Amino acid sequence: MNEIIEVLPTLLRSFGTTLELALLSTIASLLVGTVVAIMRVAPIPPLRWAGTAYVHFVRNTPITIIFFIIVFGLPQVGVIFSFFWFAVLVLTLYTGTFVAETVRAGIQAIPAGQIEAARSIGLSFTQVIRYVVLPQALRNVVPPLATVLIALLKNTSVASAFGVAEAINSMTNLVNVHSTVVLGIMGATGFAYISLALLLGRAFAWLERTVAIVR
Amino acid sequence: MMSMSDSIIVLEKVNKWFGPAHVLRDIDLSVGFGEVVVVAGPSGSGKSTMCRTINRLETINSGAIRVNGQPLPEEGKELANLRSEVGMVFQQFNLFSHLSILDNVALGPLKVRKQSKAEAGERARWLLDRVGIGDQAQKYPAQLSGGQQQRAAIARALAMDPKVILFDEPTSALDPEMINEVLDVIGKLAEDGMTMLVVTHEMGFARQVADRVVFMDAGQIVEQAPPEIFFTRPETARARDFLAKILK
Amino acid sequence: MTTANLFDQPGPKAARRITLFTIGAVVLIAIVVAYAVMELAARGQFDAARWSPLTNPKLILFLLQGLLNTLGAAAVSLVLALVMGIGLAIGRLSDVRFVRGPCVVIVELARAAPVLLSMLFLFLAFPLAFHIDLSAFWTVVLALTLYNGAAIAEIVRAGVLTLPSGQQEAAYAIGLRWWPTMRLVLLPQALRVMLPGLIGQLIVLIKDSALGFIVGYQELAAQAQSAALLFNNPLQTYVVVGLVFVLLNSALSWVSTYVSGRQVGADSRDQAITTVGLEPEAAAALRALDVERRMGR
Repeated sequence: MNEIIEVLPTLLRSFGTTLELALLSTIASLLVGTVVAIMRVAPIPPLRWAGTAYVHFVRNTPITIIFFIIVFGLPQVGVIFSFFWFAVLVLTLYTGTFVAETVRAGIQAIPAGQIEAARSIGLSFTQVIRYVVLPQALRNVVPPLATVLIALLKNTSVASAFGVAEAINSMTNLVNVHSTVVLGIMGATGFAYISLALLLGRAFAWLERTVAIVR
Repeated sequence: MMSMSDSIIVLEKVNKWFGPAHVLRDIDLSVGFGEVVVVAGPSGSGKSTMCRTINRLETINSGAIRVNGQPLPEEGKELANLRSEVGMVFQQFNLFSHLSILDNVALGPLKVRKQSKAEAGERARWLLDRVGIGDQAQKYPAQLSGGQQQRAAIARALAMDPKVILFDEPTSALDPEMINEVLDVIGKLAEDGMTMLVVTHEMGFARQVADRVVFMDAGQIVEQAPPEIFFTRPETARARDFLAKILK
Repeated sequence: MTTANLFDQPGPKAARRITLFTIGAVVLIAIVVAYAVMELAARGQFDAARWSPLTNPKLILFLLQGLLNTLGAAAVSLVLALVMGIGLAIGRLSDVRFVRGPCVVIVELARAAPVLLSMLFLFLAFPLAFHIDLSAFWTVVLALTLYNGAAIAEIVRAGVLTLPSGQQEAAYAIGLRWWPTMRLVLLPQALRVMLPGLIGQLIVLIKDSALGFIVGYQELAAQAQSAALLFNNPLQTYVVVGLVFVLLNSALSWVSTYVSGRQVGADSRDQAITTVGLEPEAAAALRALDVERRMGR
């Protein structure tokens, strides 16, 4: 029991890295995803095709392979970042596709008739987007986005195999040293992940209630 | 015969194709100031499409459309300006579901006419009273019945002080018991002198309120006449068939 | 008849602008691609030395072996996860609280834990704490089953819940009790509706099996890693293997779309929202949004 208490600080600190990874990737993938979603509904065909190609290829590839390509392939062309930043890049590219699909669904779920009505009272394109499309799209997007971001949190664990000293990596090292308390260490790690996921879930449920449109 | 300069809406030799389908054939139509024109006809006759070409929600392949003496703008600010002068009421109401109906009605004046919040809000309240739902101002569309939503939609169209209002089958999506409350509102607008083009299946309403009935079938205007004449002595066989079916 | 969308039909000025931007976009993309190709060539990434190993039949066989292991693990996991998922779903829908409660807990916990954590648990904890040595295959399969079983449980439960409530009422009205109703009326219909979702879960399984290389399972990613190290052509190997995955999963996606009766290959603006690889809640939420859109609500 004492041994577990000994190793807890190390474990907890590694979760700091996990959260850092998750936070940076969240912000970046929200940006990337929104841009790609816009590309996919734009009236300019090459943009639509580029967006669709990106989403299609990345979604159907295991995140592991994307890690391999970025971490071992990019240095071959002279692009070298730290393992941490490579991980952020991979997680952003991967999660960005799910964000893109979610945002696109959020936009397309707005009944087309409302957009016609907005145009027919004389609102300009930007005004239609700002006062009719965006408010509704944002509210539509909150529930599925929650699941996407919780999945991102879990995907940070894959970075452990690619040089990042996050929670799983730390857990594995600790287990190898303190093999007698393997169950305790893994239990603690699992408990931490599950708590974080539940916390995020609650936060998003609150967000959803706050911005909900009366249906 | 109405002179062109009296007409607020003029469609001249308008044609439209949807792919291979010729949905509007050589449409010639004019609507004068203060006139109430009812467009009737079987489903698929092109009535809705024609109505929607007037504010360019649908485009045309050939012909000309003039609103208020000016050719219909194709894009940009001119088009937005024109749309603010031409009101439209949709079959599916299309209220903005994230705004209260008060905000729905006030949005146009606020953002397009750049009125102050107080001005827009006051006028919105007055309009909601006028259509009979002033006490529902803070409710959201989903909390209202179909008839109330459509009346709110009419108030929203009125808020822009339009020169003419287009009604695209305003009661077709309503439960029967709510149709009359909406038709009453539209009828009162007609009495107050609003220029209107109403696409509808409600022949009783047409008889009472219309100045002219336009009968369309298969993309063409087959017959036009004042209601007294159209309903009692229709000229064409197609009109007679249609009336026989509807007024059984 | 009309498909209203975000944009007006463009007038002449707008049409010109769109054409301009289209040309601009094409030029930009061409420049970026050309630059990338030049850089790659300059660094010898198109050299025969890097690509010829991939045409070596022995290597191809080696990779195929990995692919087979990938598919094997995915298939077995799918079957087990289906059993677990349907069982848990039934449990969650049960009238009996003692059954429902634990099922809820199991599903929530299994979904909240990262798959890799489960895999490492089986890989490290079992030998160290329980003195059981699981093969790499079973480590991967059991870990995948745990997570995906819970995911499938949610898909099945959602499938049953979205059936019109009249189905259950009608069944009760003709005298069927809870289990026969489930067995004869609700589950068969729900499973048909869920088929696309289940194919989606198979795609998730195939992708997640790639984590197997971490615990020594020789699936496709592991083989790719060995090959890349041996021939020093990581970029080429991983990209090609990636394309193999994309092809495989695209084919499965296509089947899923076909089965759900939607249009295949429509313009992306009109395309049904694909929910491949999303967790069931997100997929369900997106599908609900999509249904609303299609009903023109």
